[in-house]
Formats: sequence, C-alpha cells, structure tokens
Amino acid sequence: MLETTVVIIGGGATGTGTLRDLSMRGIPAILLEQGGIAHGTSSRFHGLLHSGARYVVNDNESARECIEENMIVRRIGRQCVEQTEGFFALTPQDDPSYVEKFIDGCRTAGIDAQEIEVAEALRLEPHLSPEVRRVFRVPDSCVDGFRLVLHNAMSAQRYGGRMFTYHEATGITLRNGQVCGVTAVNRHTGETVEIACQCVVNAAGSWSGHIAGMAGLDVSLSPDRGTLIVFNHRFTSRVINRLHPSGDGDIFVPHGSITILGTTSAATDKPDDTTPTTEEVLRLLDIGEPLFPQVHQYRILRAFAGTRPLYTPGGTSGRKASRNFHIVDHADEGLEGMVSIFGGKLTTYRLMAERVADRVCAKLGQCVPCKTADEPLVHDVDEATLKRAARFFPMQGLHLMADRLGDDLPGVLELAEKQPNNPLLCECEMVSMAEIEYVARQPAIFSLTDIRLRTRLGMGTCQGAFCSLRTVGALTEHGVQLELTPTDNVRRFLQERWGGLRFALWGMQAREMELSRAIYASTLNLDGAEHEQDC
Amino acid sequence: MSRIVDVLVVGSGMAGLVAALTAASQGKKVRMLTTGMGSLAISGGNIDLLGYVDGKYVPDPWAGMALLPAGHPYRLMGQENVRAALNFFQHHMASQQWGMHPAASWDGQARNVHTPTIMGTLKPTYLLPEKVNVDALTSARRVLVLSVEGLRDCRPALVVSQLRRYKAWADREFLQMTVPSPLGEAHRSASALDLARLIDRPQSRQWLIEALAAHAGSCDLVLLPPLCGSKAQPENWQTIENAAGCPVVEMLSIPPGVGGLRLRDALLRALRDHDFEMVENAKVLRAETSDKACTALVAEASGQERRHEAKTFVLATGGILGGGLELAPGKIRESVMGLDIAAPADVEQWASPDLFGKHFFASAGVCVDNTMRPVDSQSAARWSNVFFAGRSLGGYDYAAEKSGHGVAVATGWQAGRMAAAASEE
Repeated sequence: MLETTVVIIGGGATGTGTLRDLSMRGIPAILLEQGGIAHGTSSRFHGLLHSGARYVVNDNESARECIEENMIVRRIGRQCVEQTEGFFALTPQDDPSYVEKFIDGCRTAGIDAQEIEVAEALRLEPHLSPEVRRVFRVPDSCVDGFRLVLHNAMSAQRYGGRMFTYHEATGITLRNGQVCGVTAVNRHTGETVEIACQCVVNAAGSWSGHIAGMAGLDVSLSPDRGTLIVFNHRFTSRVINRLHPSGDGDIFVPHGSITILGTTSAATDKPDDTTPTTEEVLRLLDIGEPLFPQVHQYRILRAFAGTRPLYTPGGTSGRKASRNFHIVDHADEGLEGMVSIFGGKLTTYRLMAERVADRVCAKLGQCVPCKTADEPLVHDVDEATLKRAARFFPMQGLHLMADRLGDDLPGVLELAEKQPNNPLLCECEMVSMAEIEYVARQPAIFSLTDIRLRTRLGMGTCQGAFCSLRTVGALTEHGVQLELTPTDNVRRFLQERWGGLRFALWGMQAREMELSRAIYASTLNLDGAEHEQDC
Repeated sequence: MSRIVDVLVVGSGMAGLVAALTAASQGKKVRMLTTGMGSLAISGGNIDLLGYVDGKYVPDPWAGMALLPAGHPYRLMGQENVRAALNFFQHHMASQQWGMHPAASWDGQARNVHTPTIMGTLKPTYLLPEKVNVDALTSARRVLVLSVEGLRDCRPALVVSQLRRYKAWADREFLQMTVPSPLGEAHRSASALDLARLIDRPQSRQWLIEALAAHAGSCDLVLLPPLCGSKAQPENWQTIENAAGCPVVEMLSIPPGVGGLRLRDALLRALRDHDFEMVENAKVLRAETSDKACTALVAEASGQERRHEAKTFVLATGGILGGGLELAPGKIRESVMGLDIAAPADVEQWASPDLFGKHFFASAGVCVDNTMRPVDSQSAARWSNVFFAGRSLGGYDYAAEKSGHGVAVATGWQAGRMAAAASEE
C-alpha cells in the first residue's frame, strides 16, 4: 500500500497545478490520471490564454481573474505562451451598442483595451474582413495547454510530487465519515493500486461529478461539448474575437503554423463525448465568415471536440452557465477530507490550484504560503546549452524544441550527442530522432499517440502519413519497445488521426487523406496484413 | 497543333497511358493533356489485380472477380475483356524489354503473390517485372535486408521484426545491413528515387555493387528498397543481382514511386512509335459540349488557354487524390465534365469510423456503361464520344481491394479501344 498525504484525481491543468502547488509547499501528494497527461479538457480547447475581455460584460469578476492570471502565466510559463495580443472586431452583423458596455467592462476589470483604426487593423491582419467597423486590441495570448500541463508536472516532480498516468481512480475509501484512501486501476496492467491518504482533491474536470459520486455525493455538473476546427495554416498573427456577447465560433486562435476556430456549445451527459459532427464544422465556418470572408476555402486539417466541466447548481446550462470556478469542501456535507474543484477555465488554472491548495492546507493544519506565481515552471535554457544543441538540431526548430522539452532538454541533448546523426522524423513539427527516442524510453509512454502528445509528432499537415512509419522504423532500429507491435501501433495512430479528419472530408484535406490510404492500404497493406500472417 | 486529333486523353497515370497506347496502336492520332504523373508517381511498379473482396483475401484474382458487385468495373467489362487488357499490356511491356508476368502459379493457374513492403508487411499483387525472381521469396532461407543510411522510411530492423510475424517467414534467418549513403551528408533527406537515379548510370552505381559484393554468397535473397534504377532498364537489375550473387527483390515502398516511374518510362517508350503527343502542365478548365457530344476541352498551359478539339475524349483524371473527383461539403463532382456524383448530403455518411472500413467515398465515382461512357440515371450514355477510365470511375475501392493498377489497365484499355472505334464513326 502506497502512502501519501494528498491524492489528486485528474491530470489536467488544475490537477497538475495543484500537485505543483502542494509539492512546492512541501506537502506529499500523488496525482492519478486515467489517461496520459492532459487527456481531458486541457488538451481539447482553443488554446486561448484569455485577457478576460471575452467576459467583461457578463462576468466582470471572471474577467479580472483572467487578466491577473494571464500576466502570471506569461511570466511563469513563458515556454508555453506565445504573446500574440488579440483583437476584438465588430462586424456589420454585431450590435454596435455592445461596444460601450465592452469598453466600460474592460476598464472595470483592469484590461487594457485600446481602439485602433480599422485600416491599421487590416494592415496588421490582412486576411481580416475589410467590412469590420471597429477594432480593439487586448492582451490575449495563445497557450499550449498540453505543454502547460507537462511543465507543471515537471515542476511538481522536481519538488517530489508523484504522478501516475493511465491510472483510473475506482474508489474512495472512507472511515467514520473521513477519507482515508483511494483505489485506482492501472489501465495498462490491470493491477489495482491502493493509496492511503488524509485528503483527496477532486480535480477531474468533466469527470469530477463521477468522482464525487464515488464518495456518495451528488453534484450538479453538466459536461458541455464544444467542437473546434484546426486549419492547416496560420492566417492571423493575433487572436481574433468577434466583438459581441459570447457565442459559438467567434474566436480564432493562431498556434505555430496552424489556426484554431472555436467553439460550439452543446449539453452532453458523457464527459468523454469528444466526437465532433460535420454539422458543427459547417456551422463554425458560417459563423467565422464575417471575420474571415475566405474561411470556407481554407483547408481544414481536422475537427475535434472537448467537454467543459460546467458547474450548474442553479440549473443553468450552456453559455449562460458561469465560467467561474467553485471549490466545494465536502466536510459541509459530512464527508471530511475531500475537496472538489468544479468549473473554471484553463487561463485561471493556477489560481484554482492555489485556492484548492489553501483549503487543503487549512484542513491539514499547515500554514505554508503559495509560491506558484513567482517561480517559472521550467528552467530557462542557458546560451551554452543552446549552442551545444545547435550542433544536433536544425536551427529553425531549435527554440521550438527547447521550449517544448523543458526539463527534458539535457537528456535529449545527451542522447543526440551519442548518435552519428539526428534526423528529423516529423518535418511538419520539426521533431528529431533524439527527442522521440528520449520520450519513447520514458516509463509513462506506451504508444505513438503518447509520443505525439509529448512532441507534436504527426500534428502537422501529413497527420502522421509519413512520420508514423518513420518513427516506428527508427525506434525498432534503436531497440525501443512500445506496448504494441510497430504495425499495430501505426494503425492505431492513424485511426486516432482519422477520428478528426472524417468530419471535414473535403477539399485538399480529402486528398491528403486519400494519399494516406494509398500508402497504408494500397501499398503497405496495413489493413489486410493481419489476414496474411498465416501465409 | 490545331489539327483535330482522334482521341484526346486527359491524365498520364496508368489508365491514361494504357488508353493512349491502345488507341495509338490502332493507328489513331492521340494527344494527351497532363498535369503530373498521376498514380505512377506513387506506385510500387507491380500490377495489383485483385487481392481482397469484402475484406477477404482471394488467392486467385480471376476467381475473386465473380464475387464482386455488378457495378464493379471488372464486372461491367467482363472477365474476358479484363484478360485481353492485361495481355495487351504485357505484350507492350515485353516489347520494351520490361516484361511483366504473373509471378506465381498453382496447378497452372496464375495467382497472387505476397510481396514484402518496407514496413515488413506482405501485400498480394499480381503482375511483377520478369526480372524479379519471386520464387526466391518462398524458397529463401537466409535473407539479407538492406537499406541505405539517410533513407528514413526503410529500416531493416522494422522489416525483419514484422516479417517474422508471418508464418512463412518466421523461421528464416535474417541479416540486416545499412550501407553508407553515396550521397553523403545532403541538405535534404535522400529518397529511394535519388538513389535509383544513381543506379541508372553505370559510373555511379559502384557503391551498391561493392556493398553487395561484400555479402555475396552469404545469403539466398536480398530485400532492398526500390533503388534498382528509375528507368525500365533490365541491365540495372542484372548488375545488382550479379553483385549479390543471389536473387534481389525490391520491397514495396511509399512515395516517390520508383517502380511506377519504370512502368511510365516503358509505356512512354512504347507510345513513341506512334502518332502521339503529350502536352504537359495542361490543366483542363472546361469542356465544350453539344447536346450529345463533347467537341473540345479548354486547357490552360503556361498561362495560356487553348482549345483542344478531338473526335473522342478519354478522361483518366484520377480520383480524390488525382483531382478527377472534387469533394465539397455534401457534394462530389467530377472535375472535367462537371458530372455530379450522387452522394449523401450528410458528410458523416461518406466515411466509416474505422479508417480501413467500408467507406462510401472510397468507391464513389462516375457511373459508366460497359463501353466506359458515363451514363445518366436512366442508364443512357450522356455523350457519345466521352469515355472514363481509372480511379474517377465509381464502384470499386482500389485501396481495400488492392486493385488499383489492375482496374486502371483494364478500363484504360477498354476506354482507349472504345474511343478509337467511336472516332471512326
């Protein structure tokens, strides 16, 4: 039986943020995550680090939290954030009387929103519709949610925090109305793990209602599904918002070489309901058209969906439900030792973690201040290391890689130095052999999909058509064993990519998909190969 | 060039080239408009005739054809015509010293053979170059798997580990070798095509000959990526086999399709003996039609529009990948004549959740009669002088069936023959 003080359930931004916070305060903690890290909502959103301007009219308190946390995350998570700034643009379809409320709200929340000339806005963002009437610039930014979670985990581990991925919490043990342990199942081995603890933090996002249910509690949590589109190219430098009350499909967020448009909102009863629909994709394009008139012609790389964990005690739902977060100490319902965090946004993940950790500390009778806003998540790379790395990695991908790797950079560099060469295996995202091999050898990595989530392998234009084969080939050559055979691994990887392709099966992307079928079915017979093994 | 040709072929993939050769060999004036190399640029250079029907392996493609649905191009044409088409193709390939033959026979009946791929899988295929000693695939006990440094897509360790999963390969002895690249440290990654072009020239193939010579006599089969020359020159293969001292078989590989370029090379050579001209980089913009016939295609080449008049037209424009079929939300359209392909309005019904499942889009395409003329909903030919061939046709899924080049050869031959006949009317 493992022992710790706190068990955190949920390996998204809030969970890993809480693990980091508690670990920095010196409180022993173990985090359980049912999938790989950021398996749930933290990797299934538009990647916007909100300035808060989106919320100033409806929920000014949320807006204020956003702008404060936005500034903190830029500082501590520099490697995860691209400081793009954002525009709010009023289109002819939007109500001009909303603008006054927007300006007032930004002022109240402390958000620096400056109006700029439309001509200047069009000079900065040439693809933006020339029909826009007014444009305000705000401190929106882009954030890589997956990397943010990973870097929080790295920081937590440096302070002794432990993480068990692919461990699904299956039971919460109570004694005399007091939490005393958590049971989990290792999803890869099927083994049961029991952890004794004094306190459980339920940070399971859309699954947190389910987790609370395991302790016999009934909470009002409505998962709300949102679909997003990934475009194959970056057509904005900045985040572009429609200047109107929050609605579907009104935010364009650039990331590296792609652009994400989101999102829709639809109630669901399943937290893992992450399948987009073609109808939603087409609706998003229609809604996006007033901001970008050419949007129907842009090539769609894929569509994906995530679920928001909306906390709805009053019975509200969808867009009306607050994006605020709520911390519930279940002691109030007679269950001592369990704290849940419901709702919230990725932008305020650190604040959420801080508040939860404060509550946990109070319960444990510990009085240690939070330090998570002061210290960067991962160390900055020094010039000497970068210079060393430049000998093994292509120059144009060097900073990308260093930012992505965080604490893993020295290990990857060491591996690269041992080998005669370090070819790029994924050209779209510039991922090299050494990086892939280093990640693949880590104990929490089981499949090509795990490698993809850590490195961005296969996230670009080819969607794995070339790099997945290359990667299994290189790993086999280097003696790295994954859970599945190479062919089964590629098959599963391509299948996962297909899940996001088939809802937007037209235009150039349909051709790309057909190339993939030509390679893997027609040439390599990956589909029929299993039947041949008796030959 | 303002003459009215007998047959205007659009597309220079397998179907287009066979259609052109068929019509030209009957003495017709043939012009071809192309915007690329089509399927041959990504092809492995074998002819897959039919490997699977409804997901089940068919050892004998001819017997398997009887199991196909009625709208399948093979069924439309009839098996005797498919045989005649393949014979025609084999005859012309042999005349160019790049003979293609069914590699395996059993009780005198030709059947599919399983060829290794760079992923270590096996794929059933039908016609292979005569140069390839396929018997070695079944009889070899010691197998050398060779690749070249810098060829990121072909790793001997992967091939060996996966081939061992097949019963017939499990207990063989494998040797692995990765030879230094003759290209040295290049600015970009080398492809098999780069290496194959070195093999084309006697003065730049020594590196491979020496690498193989070091192992001569140590094994009875060499598997290597497709680098034995980019042209249909049998002596390239001979030189390599001599060096290896045993049969050499190329593994099927991902693009660029070196093997496909050899087929293209041989077919273009065959066409050179006829009244044939090719207009490259010509993108067809629109068709001019009268009530029952097409009179001309307007194409853009080098920034200029030009009308191409002809008595008959063969459209071998490819499918989704080649651009012959264009997909838009809720609509599938044939790109030259602008034919609407009947498709569900809901895109979600186009594809199955399983990537390798049965998809609507995979067999969507132009409906034709047994002369390859497109038909309307009453099964009447739309135009008297327009014929389709290859992947723009509906009714088959080349990827799942492993029938890509087979259907291309068969329907190319049929369309070319029918167009030639119609040009006399």
